[in-house]
Amino acid sequence: MNKPTDQTDLSLMKFGIGQPVSRNEDPILVRGEGRYTDDVNFDGQLYAVFVRSPYAHGVINGVDVAPALEMPGVVAAYTGADLVAAGYDTLKCVMPQKQRDGSAMIMPARPALAVDKVRFVGDPVAFVVAETAAQARDAAEAVALDIDPLPAVTTPEEADQPGAAAVYDEAPDNCALDYHFGETEKVDAAFAAAAHVTRLEIANNRVVVNPLEPRSAVARFEGGRYVLNVPTQGVFGFRNSLAGVLKADTKQVHVITGNVGGSFGMKASVFPEYIGLLHAAKALGKPVKWTDQRSESFVSDHHGRDQNVTAELALDAKGKFLAVRISGHSNMGAYLSPVAPLMSTLNIHKNGIGTYTTPLIQVDTRCMFTNTVPISAYRGAGRPEGNYFMERLIDEAAREMGIDPVSLRKRNQIKPSQMPYKTPTDTVYDSGDFTALLERAVEAADWKGFAQRKRESRKKGLLRGRGIGCYLEVTAPPMNEMGGIRFDADGGVTIITGTLDYGQGHWTPFAQVLTTKLGVPFDKIRLIQGDSDKLIAGGGTGGSKSIMASGAAISEAAEKVIEKGKVIASYALEAGVEDIEFAAGRFIIAGTDRGIGVMELAAKLREGGLRLPEDAPKSLDVDHVHRLSPSAYPNGCHIAEVEIDPDTGVTKVVSYVMVNDFGTVVNPLLVEGQLHGGVMQGIGQALMEFTEYDSDGQLVTGSFMDYAMPRADDTPAFSFESRPTPAKTNPLGAKGCGEAGCAGALPSVMNAINDALAEVGVKHMNMPATPRRVWEAIQAAKASAAA
Amino acid sequence: MTHSNDPRGASRRDFFKISASAAAVAPVVASTALHAQPEQKPDPFAPVEVDLVVNGQRRRMALDARTTLLDALRRHAGLTGAKKGCDHGQCGACTVHVGGKRTLSCLTLAVMVREPVTTIEGLAATDGALHPMQQAFIDHDAFQCGYCTPGQIMSAVACVKEGHAGSADEIREYMSGNLCRCAAYPHIVTAIQQAKTQMEG
Ligand code: FES
Ligand code: FES
Repeated sequence: MNKPTDQTDLSLMKFGIGQPVSRNEDPILVRGEGRYTDDVNFDGQLYAVFVRSPYAHGVINGVDVAPALEMPGVVAAYTGADLVAAGYDTLKCVMPQKQRDGSAMIMPARPALAVDKVRFVGDPVAFVVAETAAQARDAAEAVALDIDPLPAVTTPEEADQPGAAAVYDEAPDNCALDYHFGETEKVDAAFAAAAHVTRLEIANNRVVVNPLEPRSAVARFEGGRYVLNVPTQGVFGFRNSLAGVLKADTKQVHVITGNVGGSFGMKASVFPEYIGLLHAAKALGKPVKWTDQRSESFVSDHHGRDQNVTAELALDAKGKFLAVRISGHSNMGAYLSPVAPLMSTLNIHKNGIGTYTTPLIQVDTRCMFTNTVPISAYRGAGRPEGNYFMERLIDEAAREMGIDPVSLRKRNQIKPSQMPYKTPTDTVYDSGDFTALLERAVEAADWKGFAQRKRESRKKGLLRGRGIGCYLEVTAPPMNEMGGIRFDADGGVTIITGTLDYGQGHWTPFAQVLTTKLGVPFDKIRLIQGDSDKLIAGGGTGGSKSIMASGAAISEAAEKVIEKGKVIASYALEAGVEDIEFAAGRFIIAGTDRGIGVMELAAKLREGGLRLPEDAPKSLDVDHVHRLSPSAYPNGCHIAEVEIDPDTGVTKVVSYVMVNDFGTVVNPLLVEGQLHGGVMQGIGQALMEFTEYDSDGQLVTGSFMDYAMPRADDTPAFSFESRPTPAKTNPLGAKGCGEAGCAGALPSVMNAINDALAEVGVKHMNMPATPRRVWEAIQAAKASAAA
Repeated sequence: MTHSNDPRGASRRDFFKISASAAAVAPVVASTALHAQPEQKPDPFAPVEVDLVVNGQRRRMALDARTTLLDALRRHAGLTGAKKGCDHGQCGACTVHVGGKRTLSCLTLAVMVREPVTTIEGLAATDGALHPMQQAFIDHDAFQCGYCTPGQIMSAVACVKEGHAGSADEIREYMSGNLCRCAAYPHIVTAIQQAKTQMEG
């Protein structure tokens, strides 16, 4: 590319790749003018309210909607039988894994409304449609359920006991999938030959996702098409899944997503309510709106995490890692969500290797059905867990073997000279300097000054601990992504792509990419991401891959604009196409100063001011599909320090240092926000988020009063640094940052807590380290020391 | 849950029905006394007159007595800026100002409101210029999905006015009623510190 002109230079300094540009949508959002789904209304719309099972497990004898139909304002009521009669397909798991013996996973069908049995508290069985939301709610209470309760199982271990209640007839032992990865004989041999083996029982506690925007949807049936306004993580794939369940052609389904108030993996799924709403909209010929209530969303949104493992690390006498083995149970909940087994199987070994040369890894997971809310992806979807299991093992091994935890990590880390590095779990790392990041984090955290800080904490009667979390995440696998570019009639430029932001702020960084590649003015760029009719492909957002997928798609689409533009410019400038060059937003005749800007060329095309031959392109617009950006490997080192009050168990994260390699950073301001969010969700899971079921399968922690969410006063002092090595796997060199915060926070915070508690004899504290649980662990350690 | 034989007693909605009809009792009793028809019970579902001043504009609406201020604003006044995160007074997303004080509009029945209401839509100057707090949220990237943001900003303005923005710790404490699942908390605190200087300057 030639040297840019001065004006473009200036604009790139402000809006190009790498600049901390504040987001285009911000002025809209701070005025309260965002359009979230519940803000959308249509004339004559009706309101739906769902009737949910009050029992965790039971046989449905009858669902009587007749009393509801007599209530004021009620228009209709539907049960599972109505949806079965309509002939819809069931909701599907789209990421099945193979059983240990190679056979297929057990995938029971899930109808949108329960028909024969209810399987968790919150399982939808019917819904009522009325003229107002209040009428619908009153009427839903009048629906009479005749259900014979059955015994319930809530934990995967309990579900695996002989004689446990069976959630499905087709899975009498409740096991959906008996997953195995790894070379058992070699792993066994490595453990047999090891000088030291560290073993921990690690819990990965269930969390309630709780985006602040509850799910909501408005369904219409118009012109023979199903139309759904709904929060998603990408409308293209969502539309296809929805069409599959409705048994409709994809052309008959239109999905529209406006602003989304957080999702973290959860809103990507097609939920049962949407099928019911579309059915009612079609049957009644009117728009039907539904908005979840928070008390409902605790039991109607998919939950995250929920896995218990025995984690083992084999080391030689010098502390070299020989093999790691993770075996245990994971909870699927009562139905398989679209990605149900992914988090506790594949993503554990893919991400458990992390930054280390461990040559062998084995993962055995029994994925169990229980009478609880279905489990799906939550920020990181197995990536943070994989890193967490490994990093806890390393810290524990260091303590047991009397080796400094920093040097134990360094001894085992993959060196830049070993790149590309093929791991034992079929990934190939392209880049990264893991030890440099660890060293920088140690320095930034003033590792050496810890002893002094610990003394100061002790003076206040507090325990102090520090913990390292080195992480490496394998971002989502390849998917096609659209890069559309439109030069609009009003002089704007529209990017069309199928990733979708639910808080990440895609518009701005995507515009930064386009402004850098094509030299179009930043403030003229718009983004279309939430209208399935506008997309020809789209992988959606998830697995920290949007900037790689859409960034690459937009870059390549810009190249295509330039190719077309050269031909058109050759006519505008009356020169041979081979003499046209493109630089800094202008097509110029090589070796001259004659040229035309891309925006000017677009304007000329629009105004018909160019006479072009038959075979020349008539516009600069491009519909491009980017094929398969492979996974990237964001990595970094986080160091947390905690203080614990031994008398109350209250634990506070007092400092938090992050050094990250996200490859090329398009917008550092937004990346820092993503990290804060990820780390705080990690701190939430580590310190407070405790999802508790009682033995009947009732969710005990079903409101913000019972379920602790991180608040402003739980925020530590953060220090954030970027040490990028550009990725070689995608054109931008980006690695993805959306989930890294969780991957760094779980291990660093829990290692810090365990470091502090080691002093009082606690061997291993599991998440969540709530005050009660920490206090109990301290008391138990005291008691066993006294015994 | 919605089971018709819910064993756990009166729901919050039942409570609303009771308190709302209790509020409406006095005038109805007076009029029934006048017409000597003691057997006629007041209809708790009959719309009641609600008279609000929102962002300087008078709004009269006939609403179900159970209607919260939040629903009155969102559903009936077309002001969707205030958000519903829980409807239980536990998240702060619905925070508006009533008589200048931060108020959870989901826990306030519209019929009870006597003082002027300010929502996020009424915070900017009449010429459209952003309030210093709105600008500070932009300058510091103090949000991600933006769903909690109207509530955060209304709460933050009140936090400064109350004199509870003296230090970062004090801000965290007095903003801890506003949940942000995206956890933009660090930047929210810096934004409040910036806006405070301007609001007090
Ligand atoms: S909606 Fe009012 S506090 Fe949550
Ligand atoms: S910005 Fe998403 S909840 Fe606060």
